[in-house]
Amino acid sequence: MSFLTDRYKEMGGEVKFVHSKRCIRVNTKKISVEALKTRLEKKHIELEKVPFLKNAFFVKSKFNIVSSPEYLLGLFYIQDAASQIPGEVLNPKSLTLDMCAAPGSKTTQLCEKVPVVAVDSNKDRIIALENNLERLGIDNCIAYLLDAREVNKKFDYILLDAPCSGNYILEDGWLKKTTLKRIEERSYLQKELISKAISLLNKDGVLVYSTCSLEPEEDEFVIQFALENFNVKLEKIDCIGDNGLTKIFGKKLDPSMKYCKRLWPYKTNTIGFFVARLRKC
Amino acid sequence: MLDFVSKFTNKELKFYKLNNKYFLASPELDKCRLDNKEQYFGLFLGEDINDEFKPAFGLLDWLSKNSTEKIFVKDIGEMDFLYGKSLRSRHILRVEGETKIGFLKLVQNEHDENLGYGKITGDFTKTQQVLKPKLDRGLFLKREKKDKQLSSESKR
Repeated sequence: MSFLTDRYKEMGGEVKFVHSKRCIRVNTKKISVEALKTRLEKKHIELEKVPFLKNAFFVKSKFNIVSSPEYLLGLFYIQDAASQIPGEVLNPKSLTLDMCAAPGSKTTQLCEKVPVVAVDSNKDRIIALENNLERLGIDNCIAYLLDAREVNKKFDYILLDAPCSGNYILEDGWLKKTTLKRIEERSYLQKELISKAISLLNKDGVLVYSTCSLEPEEDEFVIQFALENFNVKLEKIDCIGDNGLTKIFGKKLDPSMKYCKRLWPYKTNTIGFFVARLRKC
Repeated sequence: MLDFVSKFTNKELKFYKLNNKYFLASPELDKCRLDNKEQYFGLFLGEDINDEFKPAFGLLDWLSKNSTEKIFVKDIGEMDFLYGKSLRSRHILRVEGETKIGFLKLVQNEHDENLGYGKITGDFTKTQQVLKPKLDRGLFLKREKKDKQLSSESKR
């Protein structure tokens, strides 16, 4: 049994393996939701509208949809339902910075609404981002092979989907190999990144912070750090999931932490996820 | 790149060149640039590799809106073409523009979406094999397979 199991109990959650439902996001830059639905259903792909997302379906198919012409034409993107939440929560109205962009699921989602500056420091992963931008026919993204901490321009909207330790649904053997040291290392980097993100925000600008980690050190503690050190406030989010923790491991956190959302896989049928929306005052 | 474009249309295409890569971008997007060197900028049109221009799907999409050099294929032709197979007479719905052997044609599905391009190799009324693929969107599958390998190697 992993040390994480006890931690999860203390958080009001548990380790329960579920298969997150396969989910696609319609690329509305190329096709409407209804038109894609009609085309895929003609090919006997079963589609179920994701109730908490605008342009997404859970899919069931007897063949691998990655080999379908519609996928190759960039009419949709395979993206877990939880991973689509940050883009919807940010809901940008103008140029947006995506700080850890590759392989581009959220970048391409944001590009459906606004131009995006996408940065990522991993050379291999940015190749995957370029590939996705090309497949989806995105024409309003500028991508840089760059550490987000080196960006020097201000934005009204920023997405920080921070590098994290992951969660037990994403990887076989994750519970066995994850250590507290690894979680703390990630937490340190996440605090650096959120500090930079806030410094790049214009006044009244919005930052969405997300991870696919369920560890408070990478989620609520990072937000607490931001609230204590910068002039930002949390905003309510209308989406599925439990409220953020306001008390954990003997630490009392800011009461507004309840505005964050944490998604336990066994409750939401998604991967594990955390999301917070901050506004600069 | 312009040589390649001229085989399909004489419409003007304004582009940006970053090293050996070509991009199409709006003036508005140009104003959003950082001070750093871009990796990707707007719509990717293609790149020069060993002095030869390799078109990207962004350019083929642009051309398919600005050219009549097209072959429209049926469902079965769409699948075969995406799997790298040559087009046969039975795959074809209709042909627009030039039909002479050796000419390049954009390959479109019945929704007029671009699947790639190829070279005419046979007479559409007489021969079975009529077009040999030069580039098809099945390439994305090969690239993704390679990306996954790189990603698992970097994890190790």
